[in-house]
Amino acid sequence: MNRNFKYNRLWLPLLIVALWLPLSASAMEMDDCLGCHSDSDMVGDELVIDEGKFTETVHAEMGCVTCHESVTEEHPDDGEAVSNSSCLDCHEELGDEYMATSHADNATCSDCHNPHQVHGLNTVSGPDMNAQCFQCHEGPDVMDSHAEWLPQASLHITKVPCITCHTAAEGYDIVLNITQKQDKLKGYRFSSHADLKEYSGEKEISRLIDIDGDSHISLTELRTFNLNPAYSELELGGTLVPNEMSHNLSTLDNRYDCTFCHAAGPGSMQTSFLALPSEDGLYQRLTVEEGAILDTLYGTPNFYMTGSTRSASMNIIGLIIICGGFIMPIGHGTLRFLTRKNRKH
Amino acid sequence: MTEEHSDQEHQDQIYLQPIPVRIWHWLNAFGIVTLAVSGAQIRFPEYISLLGSYKSAIYLHNTAGFVVAISFSLWFFYYTFVARTMANLYVPRVDDLKSGILRQAKFYFLTYFLGWENPHHPTPDSKFNPMQKSVYLAIMFVMMPLVSLSGIFLTNVDPLRGLIVMVGGLKLLAGLHFLLACSLIAFLPTHIYLATLGRTPTEHIKTMWTGWEDEEEGHGEESTNADLVTSR
Repeated sequence: MNRNFKYNRLWLPLLIVALWLPLSASAMEMDDCLGCHSDSDMVGDELVIDEGKFTETVHAEMGCVTCHESVTEEHPDDGEAVSNSSCLDCHEELGDEYMATSHADNATCSDCHNPHQVHGLNTVSGPDMNAQCFQCHEGPDVMDSHAEWLPQASLHITKVPCITCHTAAEGYDIVLNITQKQDKLKGYRFSSHADLKEYSGEKEISRLIDIDGDSHISLTELRTFNLNPAYSELELGGTLVPNEMSHNLSTLDNRYDCTFCHAAGPGSMQTSFLALPSEDGLYQRLTVEEGAILDTLYGTPNFYMTGSTRSASMNIIGLIIICGGFIMPIGHGTLRFLTRKNRKH
Repeated sequence: MTEEHSDQEHQDQIYLQPIPVRIWHWLNAFGIVTLAVSGAQIRFPEYISLLGSYKSAIYLHNTAGFVVAISFSLWFFYYTFVARTMANLYVPRVDDLKSGILRQAKFYFLTYFLGWENPHHPTPDSKFNPMQKSVYLAIMFVMMPLVSLSGIFLTNVDPLRGLIVMVGGLKLLAGLHFLLACSLIAFLPTHIYLATLGRTPTEHIKTMWTGWEDEEEGHGEESTNADLVTSR
């Protein structure tokens, strides 16, 4: 027993050292690399890395040498070419999915994703997602080809990221973003962190909506935000984002049929998120109360999707009105039938 | 259709519904029924698929809305600028409001059952009884323009977003469009039922098809057939 105890006590510091060593080495290496590669004067525009953007990526956590294995302590004096690992070494499944599409003939991974700036779905906005697509697909062409068959094509294209339809993801998340008025003709644009800071002042920008600070947005908080005259220039815009990563960029038939989103019924509209911009340009999601999207008027006054966001209370009022239309035929008709003899002249 | 009318043929009839009015009425009727069915599919796509795909329901709804808006314009243009009877037909007079509505309601809900005559006798210049005037005024001058306008907004959300936000948002607009549509749909059974309250159940319906209505005895003096035929 005693011996076991000693054995444990001996290994514990060793374990800590063993775990700490590679981490510190990798952190040091990244700092070393960025010491030169964050300065375009030293390495040139082609090899410069935007440090602010890179350190926020998941790739930064792995350190530079994980992908650039051949780099030695003597770099760049050793004259060795720097190796790049393939994206598919880690992203095998997504890669296989992508390589089977016709996109793979025209664009490699890095044509769309800068590995030193890439982020997960949850932390980027719809316009950021579309920025990759618009590198090759020009806006007017996209608009024209969609307008041939898609009702309100401009609304769909400006509101919904391309990959919501051009993906094999089987579901979507509803994401709300704060937008704000530009000048009269240009409509609304996504508010940045700095924009919202002007409204929140000393407080965190999340407190504009998340009044109680519990990192969860209730329907009451949404209504309060939407009815607050101080925020009359701000609007909550909603969009649909795929709920899982997929690189099958073909369009599934159900997207052409509109059923995927519009015939999904209010059941699919229960879960939603509010995405708030951070200072670094990324987004942080807060959960929103179940079903808040379906609130009749003030929950999300400008997020309405025909077929899916209908309000149950509105349906009941409508049904009562329509039933009211039958009072006269049924009531009057019955009395008319009973008194028919009076009208035989 | 009995358009081959001669003065002789329509001796005991009055020409109540001129062709533009009849074209408007049936276009409107067909359009509104189409709008109601396609609208129901657009709102409840997982339960209703009468018209095929969701997209076809949307296209049909938009087209029917366009047809109804055009026929509304025809109606408005005809009564305002051609017949020039819009105000006279649709705006209730002071005595309509003071006593006419009550008199007409008393007929529909009491004296009709006792077998009395309808106190209102339609002529081309006074087609509607005071109750009809008030209801049609609300439908044609308030509800139809509002439902059309909200429909135009809802089919152009992206270009009109600024205006939509200004009037209270997309949900308010969609809710208004839906409730107005329900009200117009509710009017249909009442309208069709009241159309059967002529001397025979099909009398008024035939009139809306042929234009001619049998004249009631002792009520044709003020507008003779000769006047009406020449005025067409």
